[in-house]
Amino acid sequence: MSAIFPKWTNWLPLALGVGAALTGVAVAAGVTIYLTPKYTRAGYQPVQPVPFSHKIHAGQLGVDCRYCHSGVDKSWVANIPSASTCMNCHNQVLKDDPRLALVRESATNNTPIPWVQVHITPDYVYFNHSVHVTRGISCVECHGRVDQMDEVRHVKSFSMSFCLDCHRDPAAHIRPTDKVTDLGWKWDADPAKAAQLQAVNGAKFVHDWKVESLQSCSACHR
Amino acid sequence: MKTILKYAPAPTTGRRYWRSLDELSDTPEFKEWLHREFPAGASEMEDGQTRRSFLKIMSASFALAGLGLAGAGCRRPEEKLEPFGKQPADYVFGEPEYYATAMPTRTGAMPLVVKSYEGRPVKIEGNALYPGSNGSTDRYAQASILNLYDPDRARNFTQDGKAVSRETALSSLDELSKKITANGGEGLAFLAESSTSPSRARLQKNIALKFPNSKWFTYDAIDSGIHQRAATQAFGQSVRPVFNFDKAKVILSLDCDFLGGEDDVHNHIRKFAAGRKAGEGMNRLYAVESLYTLTGAGADHRLRIPASQVVKTAAEILGQVMGGASASTPWAAECAKDLIVAGKNALVVAGHRQPIEVHLLAHAINTALNGIGNTISLLPVEKTTNEDLKNLDGAATDTLVILGGNPAYNLNWSPKSKTVVRLGYYPDETAEKSFLNFPAAHYLESWSDAVTSDGSVVPVQPLIQPLFNGLQELEFLARLAGESETSAYEIVRTTSGLSEAAWKQFLFNGFAASKTESLTGVKMVQSSNDLNQLLANVKSITPSASNLEVVFFRDAKADDGALANNGWMQELPDPITKMTWDNAVLISRKTARDLGVQNGDVVEISLNGKTVSGPIWTQPGMADYSLGLALGYGREKAGRVGNGVGFNAYKIFSGKFIEAGATVKKTGATYTLACTQHHWSMEGRPAVREANLEEFLKEPTFAEENFHGVEPPVVKSLYPNPLDEAKKTALHQWGMSIDLNACVGCGTCIIACQSENNIPIVGKDQVLRGREMHWLRVDRYFTSDPKRKNNKSPFDFGADENQSDENQQFAKWIDDVQVVNQPMPCQMCESAPCESVCPVNATVHDQEGLNVMAYNRCIGTRYCSNNCPYKVRRFNFLDYNKRPLTELNGTTKFGVTAYSTTLTHKTDGEADILRWWKDPNSGMRTEDEWDLIKLSKNPDVTVRMRGVMEKCTYCTQRIEQAKISQKAKAGGSDNVRLTEAAGTVPKTACQQACPAGAIVFGDISDAASTVSTLKKLPHNYSVLGDLLTKPRTTYLARIRNPNPAMPDYHVPFSTEEYENASLAKKGNS
Repeated sequence: MSAIFPKWTNWLPLALGVGAALTGVAVAAGVTIYLTPKYTRAGYQPVQPVPFSHKIHAGQLGVDCRYCHSGVDKSWVANIPSASTCMNCHNQVLKDDPRLALVRESATNNTPIPWVQVHITPDYVYFNHSVHVTRGISCVECHGRVDQMDEVRHVKSFSMSFCLDCHRDPAAHIRPTDKVTDLGWKWDADPAKAAQLQAVNGAKFVHDWKVESLQSCSACHR
Repeated sequence: MKTILKYAPAPTTGRRYWRSLDELSDTPEFKEWLHREFPAGASEMEDGQTRRSFLKIMSASFALAGLGLAGAGCRRPEEKLEPFGKQPADYVFGEPEYYATAMPTRTGAMPLVVKSYEGRPVKIEGNALYPGSNGSTDRYAQASILNLYDPDRARNFTQDGKAVSRETALSSLDELSKKITANGGEGLAFLAESSTSPSRARLQKNIALKFPNSKWFTYDAIDSGIHQRAATQAFGQSVRPVFNFDKAKVILSLDCDFLGGEDDVHNHIRKFAAGRKAGEGMNRLYAVESLYTLTGAGADHRLRIPASQVVKTAAEILGQVMGGASASTPWAAECAKDLIVAGKNALVVAGHRQPIEVHLLAHAINTALNGIGNTISLLPVEKTTNEDLKNLDGAATDTLVILGGNPAYNLNWSPKSKTVVRLGYYPDETAEKSFLNFPAAHYLESWSDAVTSDGSVVPVQPLIQPLFNGLQELEFLARLAGESETSAYEIVRTTSGLSEAAWKQFLFNGFAASKTESLTGVKMVQSSNDLNQLLANVKSITPSASNLEVVFFRDAKADDGALANNGWMQELPDPITKMTWDNAVLISRKTARDLGVQNGDVVEISLNGKTVSGPIWTQPGMADYSLGLALGYGREKAGRVGNGVGFNAYKIFSGKFIEAGATVKKTGATYTLACTQHHWSMEGRPAVREANLEEFLKEPTFAEENFHGVEPPVVKSLYPNPLDEAKKTALHQWGMSIDLNACVGCGTCIIACQSENNIPIVGKDQVLRGREMHWLRVDRYFTSDPKRKNNKSPFDFGADENQSDENQQFAKWIDDVQVVNQPMPCQMCESAPCESVCPVNATVHDQEGLNVMAYNRCIGTRYCSNNCPYKVRRFNFLDYNKRPLTELNGTTKFGVTAYSTTLTHKTDGEADILRWWKDPNSGMRTEDEWDLIKLSKNPDVTVRMRGVMEKCTYCTQRIEQAKISQKAKAGGSDNVRLTEAAGTVPKTACQQACPAGAIVFGDISDAASTVSTLKKLPHNYSVLGDLLTKPRTTYLARIRNPNPAMPDYHVPFSTEEYENASLAKKGNS
């Protein structure tokens, strides 16, 4: 047989085994990194048609989220404000700024501004904003510190497990209903103390408000 | 071969119900049907591709797709959010809006509330604020929203066959207006469908003043005006009768299908059901009819006679009631006695198909029994001065203006005038023959008004701008009349004469504050002598095999043909025949025997020298020598869906609904009819339970688990049900109760469900393969007198080998049958058999007791459907939402596939495979279909794709919406529970649409809820409860109320049959 199979072939099974294992690891790692929402979604930061800065409006000026996203506590969606909402201020402030040309045009002609959608749930997920923000789940839980972003960036993965993490343990995320749009709010400046207060108060809110830990399919899928 | 479970053998555990002649006859075909888990061909590809070649092409496609993926990366495509430039006041994006409007019908209107998402109407509901209404609708109203998004609706203004701009067409109309103003309307005639709109009546008057020489003709293909004409003749003043079925204790229907084919059916059903609550004092219904109608199905006593002999029975009963006891059949005699006992609580109604003599007789009986003012109210109406249609050609020498209707199809009309101007919704048969065509606006796009059958003025309010620039009827008339005000809104506003505040209230409520009061103290003007004279002139016809009687009837689906292009309606199984996508020649068993024909034989019917051909359908319970022909089919220019479906009975229709003297000739051809009645047989298990009132009063709990000795198997679950644990933290537990006693089987729920849940239309070819998608079906069971049968169980598969199909089809016992209807949505079993077999957990329970489907998890094994004892699961064998509409009607003959494949098919001139490569979502629909179909979908419900199982969800989207609203309202409080007391519990789509209120949904963990109360009633039972599935949907048994004195009194056939079968078995053993 040695005439047919040279000696080095003795190593072949091992080489193949190791090679297959390495390839498997590489594929698994590749899929995990490149095909999961952590990569495909988080970090997405498209350029918007109007250089609107949340950092200035929500952060420095302290405009409440609901001033512009007025439907967030009433509707499925947190609406993008109409140009006329912008003009409430900008007919006084920066009223001839060239960066606002598109907004002025939109408000005058009623033509829409083509904002690029950043946060999106798939069509088979029926996420409702109003029920979350009215029941003590802050915007920051899903959208991150938008008040510190000039251009909005997708920071969370929005995978199903991301949703379930909170749905399994709402007490770890719930906060007083009047602090929902205060993105920088903490129970305490000291992280350890804040965590402890969250645990105590979170459990209390969940109990007092009858917050359900909804994990069945019908909660999100119709 | 699947194992037949032995613990529930049919004769010993269940009443024997059968749903079709084939089932009863136990043919080999039927047995095969029953034994296959899915119908033959249901899981095979029929497009000429082999599995191997398909795989080859698909693998090549995937390889290409993989390259594309590598090149483009897997970032999602960029999507735009386009907000308003100017924010409309009080509008919250993403939240639905509701507007009150009304759907005009021939003799009234149906007050509606329509749900609109982002400016597009998506769901129609009844206006529950309307006095007396329970917020229900009928199937025509439910389906009308699909017409709004019909890609075949008229899109263009045309002149002389060429499309012209709106401006050109309107200027032609102005010219015409000037011309007819100059000559006073010489040679001008209008041909309009009837309408109750006060605004149109006002414009009509203006037109009569302005153009004194013009003539106005009103016509309806299905004429319901006879009720008004008869009452006007009987009572000597212009009145319209309103039937108060809720006040009637004994009702006699003289060929009056008030639960099915008459106008205003949803009101009738609501009132009838209100008087038919199981127990002491429930009403009793006698029906005399030739067709098997829903009224006959709901009747306690049904007399099967040819339609032309109904007048004789009516006269007999009148004779008895008046005291002149002429020789009478026992049926009529006892019926008359019962009517006399009921006195002013009796109600006799005559059907619109019957000649005016029968109506006058009915009014005479009601008058003799003092029912006028009690069971019949008379509403004063304005006198109508209708011209006789015979004079149409003479009057319209110069110009004919056609408003709606389709006279070229249903009136055999052809143009005789120089110019024909038409306002029509479709480019149909009539449009083809008209010179100037204006596309009409849908009622959801128009301002108008109407008067309901009980005399209230209701607004017709638009929810959307006319999609294709359509013209509203009022605007069209105003322009033609040269009015200074042509805005339909202003016309309606002026007609109403209301102040600004009252007008707003009128629009908000959807009806006017006051309504026309009915008259009191009206007397019939005919004396008994007049009636005798009348009767003397009535020719009594006895139909025979050579002198057949033809009964033309309003179809339950296509109406008069106006809904022929509505796919939902085409696919809705007919309430009695369960036929889809066709009409047929309905005949009785005996007639079929005498003529030597059987199901599917195409025959040629000759009547008055005209002929039409159609397939035979043997209908149990039909009168002998009577042919039932549904109108509204055989359209040539209906559109993609309706073209060539069925045959056109209008060809031999002369305006008389009952005509004798027809002959029938076999053509030798056969035709395949797509009927849903074989599907999902219950195999004789006691699905429907019924009893007579006496038995019910003696033993109210008759329908419970020990129903006629059915003992539940002593089986306990091995494992604890996880739901029991999950229940503890849930806020609600959902359940449903369906009252079989209230259900008449009209099918409104099916269409409501289809509209709410984005259920696709699958087409005739797919129905033949058993792939219809309705989440909610209405099972119609026939039961027959066991004494006429041979006491053999139709479910004893070895017993009837030597009985051929033909013998059974012509067997005598199918002549007089009873009907039971059973709506069958998902039963939401607490221990659901479907869940335990799903390999991927795509169907699981939620904590509130819903058996939910996660479409994205489903891989399409169909195990769940196989394991569902109720057969309520539906599988998407194809991507029905992407199929072209032209292929639905199955006009290519059965046997040749009616659906084409993506591999060879072209759409918009481009190969589908190429389209798929460019955009995987493109589908096989042309651009114009695609745009409209997207508008029509409910955004709250996923549109399912191929390979996914689906089923009734108890409208989970409505439940979630209600819970979310309540939670958002609760905020930082614990007021999160939905309660009936607060009115926060949602209604399912079927429940909301049901005119009878037969379906009740609610929280069964709330002991005070309606559904809990109903489930505590003694005659509540679960279907197949012995399987320990613990269904959340339970039924209330049907109670019949026959008169013991009647010659045809008996316990329900099913019960008798069941008793006989079990006695026979005991005797043998």
